[in-house]
Amino acid sequence: MKVLLIGSGGREHALAKLIRRSVLEPRLFVAMDYRNPGLEKESVETGGKMFIVNTVSAKDVANVAEEVSPDLVVVGPEEPQFHGVTDVLRERGYIVFGASSRCAEVEKSKVFARSLMWKHDIYGRLYFKAFTSVEEARKFIEFAGDVVIKPARQAGGKGVKVLRDTQAYLSRDRAEVKKTYIEKLFSEMEGYRDIDYKIIVEQRVEGVEYTSMIITDGDTILPLPLVQDHPHAFEFDIGPETGGMGSIQGPGWILPFITREEFGKTVEVVSQVLKALQSEVREKYVGAFAGQMMLTGIWGPTVIEFYSRFGDPEMSNLVPIVASDFLEILDKAARRKLAGAKLDIDEDRVTIVKAIAPAGYPDNRRIAAGHPIHVDEGGVRELGCEVLYASVELLANGVMYTKGSRVFEIVCSSDNYDDAYERIEKAITYVKSLDGWPLFYRSDIGSRELLNDRIRAAERVRTIYGSRSRRGLLGKVLMWVPGEGISDNPLIGFVR
Amino acid sequence: MGSLLAIYAFDELWNLSNIVRYGLMSLQHRGAQNFVVCIPGERVECLHGENIDEVSRGASKNVALAVIGNDSDNMLIEVDDSGVVAMASERSWDGASRALQALSNAFSNGGDPVTSFISTLNRVSDDVAPSMAVLTKRGELVIWRSPSSFSPLVLGSYGFDMAIVSSESVAIDILGGDVKRFLKPGEGIYIAKYIVKHFTAGVSEHRGLCTFELLYLARHDAIVDGVSVYEFRKHLGRELAKYLESDVDVVVGVPETALPYAIGFAEVIKKPFEMAFMATGGRRRSMLFSDPFEKIVSIHLKMNPIRGVLEGKRVALVDDSMVTGSTIKTVSQILRFRVGVPEVHLFIASPPLIMPCPFSVLRLDMKGLLAANLSQSLARDYLEVDSLHWLSKEDVDRVASRFGLKLCGKCFGVDFFGCRK
Repeated sequence: MKVLLIGSGGREHALAKLIRRSVLEPRLFVAMDYRNPGLEKESVETGGKMFIVNTVSAKDVANVAEEVSPDLVVVGPEEPQFHGVTDVLRERGYIVFGASSRCAEVEKSKVFARSLMWKHDIYGRLYFKAFTSVEEARKFIEFAGDVVIKPARQAGGKGVKVLRDTQAYLSRDRAEVKKTYIEKLFSEMEGYRDIDYKIIVEQRVEGVEYTSMIITDGDTILPLPLVQDHPHAFEFDIGPETGGMGSIQGPGWILPFITREEFGKTVEVVSQVLKALQSEVREKYVGAFAGQMMLTGIWGPTVIEFYSRFGDPEMSNLVPIVASDFLEILDKAARRKLAGAKLDIDEDRVTIVKAIAPAGYPDNRRIAAGHPIHVDEGGVRELGCEVLYASVELLANGVMYTKGSRVFEIVCSSDNYDDAYERIEKAITYVKSLDGWPLFYRSDIGSRELLNDRIRAAERVRTIYGSRSRRGLLGKVLMWVPGEGISDNPLIGFVR
Repeated sequence: MGSLLAIYAFDELWNLSNIVRYGLMSLQHRGAQNFVVCIPGERVECLHGENIDEVSRGASKNVALAVIGNDSDNMLIEVDDSGVVAMASERSWDGASRALQALSNAFSNGGDPVTSFISTLNRVSDDVAPSMAVLTKRGELVIWRSPSSFSPLVLGSYGFDMAIVSSESVAIDILGGDVKRFLKPGEGIYIAKYIVKHFTAGVSEHRGLCTFELLYLARHDAIVDGVSVYEFRKHLGRELAKYLESDVDVVVGVPETALPYAIGFAEVIKKPFEMAFMATGGRRRSMLFSDPFEKIVSIHLKMNPIRGVLEGKRVALVDDSMVTGSTIKTVSQILRFRVGVPEVHLFIASPPLIMPCPFSVLRLDMKGLLAANLSQSLARDYLEVDSLHWLSKEDVDRVASRFGLKLCGKCFGVDFFGCRK
């Protein structure tokens, strides 16, 4: 079976590893933006081939497809979806796993996703206000309170400002930051011509984050086990937001801090959104879909945002634990024959994934790029772990160079977190910068300490949403302005 | 002893002035007659002053290092001649100027900052080196909790925007942040725009926290190395209750540190805990004044009695510790002469203080220590109390162990209370 995989990063490398194991004896062809040595290896070893193309160009990718004539195309990242790559391939008659551009709107436009949830009255929705013009936003932000400011378009997991504003004595300082930030973000978002709304201001929530991914053919839904990503760049949840510095999974379908009921409710929310989305765009959703969730005091399971693809690095956690023929599942979904399919996982195992990034990531990728780097894959394998190649390019001189984002993901699994943690910490030492450029990773991910913190945090949140639920207050945030009455706008602050 | 506050905002659009201001305000109870705030620039600039507003205005950038200390702590931050680094120490230390010079050299030479810091420490630090915080002119921060430090250091964050390190967890709360880690003795953290690194340095054995950090210094709402200060204090108060010999009508705590002790005490003996005194002019930490006149002024300002609840009642009076006894003397005089109580039974939630602090963390003058100089009966008569009870060293040891703490107990005549890890 010939499989064409679109995408260049760690998620695609994880997909490649899962696909390779299939009894369908896949030959793996990969269309990628740069020469990712991991993906190259997978393609060569399976008798396939790699193509270096602009993966957001539907024309370029279609040319590759024509050359390969694949039995199945798997589109990994969201940007090719946004740019119509999936659509063009389907138009040309290929069997494609991946959201169409209209379905992918649920990730691309945060305003679309939020509006969808409100229109269809879906559980776990947050208050928001979106802006097309900077003047309008400027006016609103004068009065904004405890909010999050985000780019209204998916922008590679960047640009989110979380401004807890529950203390009047500091709210003027925060208002200043909000104002300056709105201006800055608007000018950054100018570049995106494919969207009307530039900025979205949302109700801030706090709690414990987790990702719920599913595979769907538009009718049948196959949930994947929950995974928790770690967005802060630095240890102990400090520093700027990244695409994810590592993730943990297991044991089984849930996480140590999420209950079965919460998992059930989450899958229900994701399924409802999927249904609403399909009725809205009048198309079947074929591919991977995910909710970036947070367990909050306001709702319990709450939607932060959606992905129209598998999470990265979340996908990497699945590599050691998927027991089913993953390619078969992708293929069935793509052919809209997922009914009756089953995903088996090794329910006794846990997995930890850690990303290694060059200094400069995520805020200055220019200085983070172009550094020679090495990983002793044999050493990592001896520990029973795997290396996934992400933002790294093999040049003609045979040396690998950083591309500016997370370079490698190390994946270790075990029947317990302590053992997996111990091995992954050793495995990380096999990654070396060759020019002395500093690298960083998070040693706290997967540690007993952090896990216990999450369990405590989730317990606290559970107490809050449990009592709100009993009083019929889930999702509600009532504000009373004397003389004006009760309103349900939690976006307004102290400074009026 | 000084308190450290270091803030790093990863986004340069933050101006930290007001944030430093409220952060320092939340640490004032640790002793606050001296303030210094440093910011990076062409060279590190430090602003010294005697009030918070004056110095915090100087923190006009996205990175700031601040220290507050007592009247005698005037050398808590030093900047090298070339302005490459400012080094703040939580208490004065003979090795400070050598360390400063070595750090200045290391940071001017480039190279990995964490490695430079650790090798400097290895060269110049001794077994009394305090915790320290370094700010470089490039705007990097290095903060290290010394194994021989007697006070904690806490790392917190504010959203994706800030890292905050403070001597006490309350500053992180007050700034709207979340506590992320209680740095362990020997642990340090390097914070720069593109990298944050966590490291361990210094091999000497952990000396234990100063017992007074938990007894007196920290705020009730602070968490010290994972231990709730309030819970700890209440627990000591409960322990004290077993020393009650005669009936009392009400339980009163010496404001305001002793309130949780008194609440724990009252809970066990099942008698009402009463507010007994009102303070005038905000909270003043009498124990942290070295000038005896200032000290007595602040005691007097705290002690206007609420007469109605006390008049004619037998009082169990609870305090966290007794150094010179001057506070207790004042309180007992007020209770006797201004209120008119028939009995005062005094309960001290720590053992007798019998030695000066060998590390000068607390300025205890041997001549002034009541327990070291007066017999129990003489003390009772001087203080005009009907009975006088202390927690034993064993009591404190047991409670510290229960909370997983290791406390330095030199001034109580013992090396450590609690875990001897």
